[in-house]
Amino acid sequence: MSWSVGHEFTEKTFTVNRSALKQYADASGDQNPIHQDEAFAQSVGLPNVIAHGMYTMALAGEAIRNWVGSEKSLTEFSTRFAKPVVVPAGEDVPLTFTGKISAIEGDQIIIDVTATCNGVKVLTQTKARVQL
Amino acid sequence: MAVHGPDLVGRRFSSNHTRSVTAEAISTFAAAIGADSRFTPPTFLISFSVAAAEEFLPTIGFDWARVVHGDQRFLHHRDVRAGDELSYSSEIESYKNLAGNEFVSIRTDFISALDGESISSTWSTLVFRGEQS
Repeated sequence: MSWSVGHEFTEKTFTVNRSALKQYADASGDQNPIHQDEAFAQSVGLPNVIAHGMYTMALAGEAIRNWVGSEKSLTEFSTRFAKPVVVPAGEDVPLTFTGKISAIEGDQIIIDVTATCNGVKVLTQTKARVQL
Repeated sequence: MAVHGPDLVGRRFSSNHTRSVTAEAISTFAAAIGADSRFTPPTFLISFSVAAAEEFLPTIGFDWARVVHGDQRFLHHRDVRAGDELSYSSEIESYKNLAGNEFVSIRTDFISALDGESISSTWSTLVFRGEQS
């Protein structure tokens, strides 16, 4: 497949819910109660349970692999965690990713990614270098 | 909570432990994010990076209950694979105290315990919120 600078990938949306956060907590070992326990989250000043920032980043990585092919390696991948993804009980919260090729360097492409949840940018400065 | 200063920059931590990458750990992580388990997710190493920070930051007075993740970067020289045995060391690369919140950036380097090959480096900025916030 050949791409050019400026190419925009098809928007990709995942849904996040409490059981997904529990599954991610078990898989990653991050059992911080702010990601599972509503009363605890509120006791430390959060509006509700929030998703692990690294879960959102992992989904961004999965969106990229959906775009470029699951077998492709992301040799560099970086982001800032700008806003929390709030996950109320019983809700499926949509997380939407867009991607655009910002540079091509030999057989590697740089993709700039946006991540929004209900219109709020939850990640910023998200970039991946993909080995084609 | 202890007050830290910029003299933390350059402080290094290494562990005598190594970490084994199992096919099961990769497929469990991939399943949790809906990914194809034949390929290691690019953020898979986060559990090892965080475990490394959890080992040493409390020893110098950081309160893990008040941590927030600020930013994250991965550099992979090659994909992590099932069967890898990784040794790792960490270094504090920057420290800032802004309005009582402490920003600590940590680099962790992962090398193969079998042949010394550099596999990956990760950078994490952790924000330890002050008592008033």
